[in-house]
Order: sequence, then structure tokens, then C-alpha cells
Amino acid sequence: MATPTALDTVRATATGGTPPPVAGRTARRLRRRNTLAGWSFILPNFIGFAALTLVPVVASLALAFMQWNSYSTPEWVGLDNFRRMLASETFWTALYNTTYYALGHIPLTMVAALGFAVLLNRKLRGVQFFRTALFFPYITALVAVAVVWNMLFNPDAGPVNQLLRAIGVDNPPGWTTSTTWAMPAVIITSVWRDMGYYMVLYLAGLQTIPAELYEAARTDGASAWQRFWHITVPSLRPTTFFVLIMLTISSFKVFDLIQVMTEGGPGRSTLVLSQLIFREGITEGRFGYSSAIAMVLFVIVLLVTVIQFRLQQRSER
Amino acid sequence: MNRRLAAGLAAATALALAVTGCGGGDDPAVGSDGREILTVALWNYENTPEFKTLIEAFEAAHPDIDVEPVDILADDYAEKVTTMLAGGDRTDVLTMKNVTDYSRYALRGQLASVADEAGTLDQSKYLSLEPFNLDGDYFALPYRQDFWVLYYNKTLLADSGADLANLTWAEYADLAKELTSGSGQDTVYGTYHHTWRSIIHSTAAAQTGGDLVGGDYGFIKDRYDMVLDLQTAGATMPWATASTQKVQYHTMFATEKAAMLPMGTWYAARLIEEKKAGTTTVDWGIAPLPQVAEGGPVTTFGSPTAFAVNNKARNAEAARTFVAWAAGPDGAAAIAKIGVFPAYSDETITETYFGVEGMTNDEVAQKAFQPDEVVLEMPVDERSSDVDTILTEEHELIMIGERTVDAGLAEMAERVNSEVD
Repeated sequence: MATPTALDTVRATATGGTPPPVAGRTARRLRRRNTLAGWSFILPNFIGFAALTLVPVVASLALAFMQWNSYSTPEWVGLDNFRRMLASETFWTALYNTTYYALGHIPLTMVAALGFAVLLNRKLRGVQFFRTALFFPYITALVAVAVVWNMLFNPDAGPVNQLLRAIGVDNPPGWTTSTTWAMPAVIITSVWRDMGYYMVLYLAGLQTIPAELYEAARTDGASAWQRFWHITVPSLRPTTFFVLIMLTISSFKVFDLIQVMTEGGPGRSTLVLSQLIFREGITEGRFGYSSAIAMVLFVIVLLVTVIQFRLQQRSER
Repeated sequence: MNRRLAAGLAAATALALAVTGCGGGDDPAVGSDGREILTVALWNYENTPEFKTLIEAFEAAHPDIDVEPVDILADDYAEKVTTMLAGGDRTDVLTMKNVTDYSRYALRGQLASVADEAGTLDQSKYLSLEPFNLDGDYFALPYRQDFWVLYYNKTLLADSGADLANLTWAEYADLAKELTSGSGQDTVYGTYHHTWRSIIHSTAAAQTGGDLVGGDYGFIKDRYDMVLDLQTAGATMPWATASTQKVQYHTMFATEKAAMLPMGTWYAARLIEEKKAGTTTVDWGIAPLPQVAEGGPVTTFGSPTAFAVNNKARNAEAARTFVAWAAGPDGAAAIAKIGVFPAYSDETITETYFGVEGMTNDEVAQKAFQPDEVVLEMPVDERSSDVDTILTEEHELIMIGERTVDAGLAEMAERVNSEVD
């Protein structure tokens, strides 16, 4: 903007009048070309986004108020799908399970990720190896993760319960064969799988904390715990916030791990909202009803994220 | 400028939609060699010998038709076909994996009527045309008929002296306990019950006349009591172990870890193939599924597999030819040769079937393959799919011991009556 204006001014001064229309057109053309260049960068991505995400999301919003089996003409049913949802015990079970999962998965993953990040943020021999090892679960095929953990959690022959028995637990849990312990088993597996990724984010955050802060604190006689609590934690606040948002969204959307590990069972003890959406839509062909559940899930995730943003803004003030 | 951009964007979006939307053009249904092309939707083509056998035999009989399989992953078959049909797909022939899916597609008007072709078949030689009758019309013709039998290990049962041709469930349970031996890794179970609920639910429904979508499940109690008792006695692998370890019934039986195995007739073809290949050495036999009472007719449950013509088929004439051919004597003869039990059956076919190299064909097996009645695994009903979900969830809870049999059955009834409309 600044350059053409300056140029115009020079020209205007030289000719002793208002800027000629030719110059204005050049400026406009330049601006247009810049804009077009910008759009041409965005467009390929935007086309994919529009076709594969935007249109389906908007369609799903409309479908939530319709009855549609993917073949018949959609029929407007108003709030029927939502009424049906509120009256469905399975929906409330799935909502409870999703919240249970999120409340277990989010804090445990954060604590584990931060703990390992702090541990591995020093110059130790083999630190690279441990960082890689911790990141490994995140890039391991999910089906393999589920199958292996199912074996580890086997109530009779699994290493987890053998260990528990060895340290004196007489009645170790049934894990994925028990309605009480199936969700904790899933949470433990997902924390193990995800913590490496968030650890890397925390490691990046830790690198940005100036060493002088620690030196000064040490000079003042602060203990290791005090340094962690008063320097590391506050300095990591932006990272923590980002990790929290990402974890919240992924926790509420959890589908794959549970689908492979327990398929929502035993009974309905690990059935989550995403699975219910899949089951009602793809399996039963009730796309209207499943879209309604999807909308509720969307609103929940949105609300939780907005609240977190607000709290973050307040604490920064 | 903005208007132009908006127009450009709209055009781009439209283009994107066109590209991602239905791509099925109207290519002629004739190949470069002049043969008509017939597309058939099926699953796991490489590992399901019956499809290859059928297609090769059909092409040999109809040299002017070139069959092109549309291979779909078995686990995703129903969802994939649903999506294809919703998108206006023009695949000619669709394989109906079970009757529930069949009725769903047919009731939505996605399948063409094959009542004329059904009329030309000799119904007295058909095991399973009736389930496909929808108000007097037919939209698919079955080509194979599977039902449940009892597989047993001849070596392990050699000294048992059991009358396998006339086994009751009580005798079966005693036999299973007797045959169990060893412990830990070396346990040989008397029997293996796979994790599917059908082994308990559909057996009970078939043999007591109970209705699985009816909302009253007291008729299943005896079967649960028996299976749970076997589990407590250690005569079968606990359900929880089989489920979490994703144990395969084939592994249990073929590696002789279980002496008996109630399973569908489809399993015979695999045993024949693997014995031929030398990957298993188990000396196997087939007996009728045990019954509730002694000496009565043999009642079992099963499920036919059928071919249907897509209502939007590109090559409907050839599709009809294929469906009628596969369901008739020629199709039956082709698959009987590889040990797959066809829906159509006469003396020649039975002879072919039992003449397959490696097939068990003693008297007990002959009786097993001629049950008096084969009841559908799950009734054809709009509610079947929803009821199935509920019964499966409650079945798991009973099998892992979190619910007693009575409480579990009551919960099934309660949920089916309140949640399914």
C-alpha cells in the first residue's frame, strides 16, 4: 500500500496535479495480482477443505433436523432427533463414558508428558535414545498397540496382573473384561500412546526458558521443586495451554483406539460418542440421528475450548 | 475484485464437488474383446475360493460374458455396499452376505425383482428360498446355504464311545468335560465355543421356537447355564480370554487345542484346503448339532448367501443370467466341487459334495448334512439390526460374569422393549 502511494505522490508532484488515472490502474493491477497470487496459494488446500470438510459439516448440520437413510429423500423432522437423543439411555451412557475418558486422559497425559520432558531436558548420556523411545508409541500402528495392550491386560496370563500378583495384590482387576476396569485400561493405553508427542511439545517449550532464571533462583537458594514450580511451570504456560486444547479436542473425539481395543464393550462400558455416531449413521443408516449426536459433540468440544480460552485470557491479565 | 473472487471460489467449489461426487460415467458395458462386462460385488476375492470357482464356471458356460469382480473387504462389506447404492452405483450383481442386509436393500427399492427367475427353479430341491420371500416377491436368489454342525477331532474322540449322530446338549456337556485334559499351556479343551452370541442365542431360538426379536428371552436360559457351567468346569476356554486374545476358532480346532467345535458348514472348505496344503493334520469329522431332546428331528440354524441384481445395473440382462445360473444346478455343481454347501441340492450335487477329496463322508457326516430344519440365524425384521446390538452387549456382560443369566435376559427384554421402535 505504502509504495504505490509514495510513487503516486512523486508523479503527482512532477506533473503538478492530481495523480493520473494510469498510475491508479497500475496500482490496482498490482494489488489484484498480489491478491490472486495469495488466493492461488490457498485455493488448492481450500478446495480440499471445502469438498471434504466444509460441505459435509454444513450438510450434517442440516441433516440433524432430518430423517435420512442415505437412499430416500431426506424428510424434515424438526427436533425429533434431539428429543430421541435426550430420551436415549445409550446416548447418556456414551456421553458419560466420553467425559470419563477425557477427565482421565487429559490430566494424566499432561502430567506424564511434562514429567518426561523435564527428565529428558538435560545433557544425559543416551537422552536421544529415550526421547525416541518415548515418541515411538505415537507413530506405532494403532491396531498393534491395541492388540499388544489387550495381551498385557489379560486377566489371567497378562504381565500386568502377574506383576500385581507378585507385589501382593490378591484380586487384580479384570481390565478389558470388566465393566469397571475397561475404561481405566483404555485410558492407560491412550496415555502411553500420546505422551511422547506432547512430551516433544513440552521439550520445545523448555528450550525457550532462559537459563539465567534458574541461575538466579539457584543463587537465591531455591530448591529444585521451587525452581520447577515457580519458573518452569509459569514459563511453560503457553505450551500447556496449547497442549490442553489439543488434548481436549482429541479426547472428546476419541474413536479409533477404543474401536479396536474394546469395541465399546464389555456391554456399553467403553462406548463413546464417536462410536455411537458411527454406529447409528454408517451401520444403522440413521444419518439424521447420528448427525444430531455429532452436533452435540461439536457443541460440547466448542464450549469446553471457549471456556479454556476465556480462563487463559483472564489468567494472563 | 471481490465479486470475481467470489465467482472464482464458487466455480472452484463446484469443480471440487463434481470431482469428488459420483464419478460413475456411462461407459458401455462391452469390453475391448467384444464380450459383455458383468460386474459382481463380492468380498475377499483372493481368499474365498467359491467366488473364483463360480465365476470361472460361469464364464466357461457363457463365453460372451466377462465377469469382473468388485472386491470389497469382508468386514466392511455391508457398509460399503450401502454407501455404493446410496451413491447410485451401477455394479450389476450384488452378493447378499446375510438376510438382514438383503431385506434392508430390497425394502429401499435398491434391488430388482428376480421373481421370474425364482419361478423357474425347482423349489423342492431348495433349502432356503423362503427367507427371501418379501410379500410374494423375490429380490435375490441364494446360491449357498450354511448351517451349524458339530466338528470333532476323530483322534481325541476315538475312545469316547459317544453316539455322535444323536447327541443331546446334556450328553455333549458331559463329553466335553470328559475330553478335557492337561493344564496351563497344554490344556486341551473338551470343546471350544467361539465368542459370537449366535452359538447360544440362535441355537436356542432354532431348537425351542423362541423369537430373537420378540422381546422375551427366557428361552435362552438353558443354553447359557450349560455354557457357563462348561466354562466354570474348565471344559471350554473362558469367553473373556477368547475375546481379549482375539482367539481364532480355526487355531483352536486345527492345532488340536479343542476336541469339539460347534461351527458353520463354511469351515469344512478351509479344513479340506489346509489339510491338502499340509498346514494342519487334524483328523476331523462332522456330526449334527446337539439337540435339546433325544431322538427328535435335527434342528439347526444357518444363513444363506445370495446374489441380487442391482436396480440400477448397467447390464441387467447378463446379471439376471448370472443370478439364475449360480442359484441353479450348474452353480451348485461348481461350488460343491470345492466343499461349499450349495443352496440347491439333489442327489448328484450331494454325491459331488461328499466326493470332494478330503471331505468327511461317513454316516454321521451324511446325517449332519441333512438336517430336518434350518432356522434363520436372525429373523428378517426391520428391528433385527438394533436388537442385535443390544443382545450382543448384554451377552458380553453375562459371559464375563458381570450379570447373572436371569438378570441379563431380563435386561435384554427390558432394553429391546424400550429402546427399539
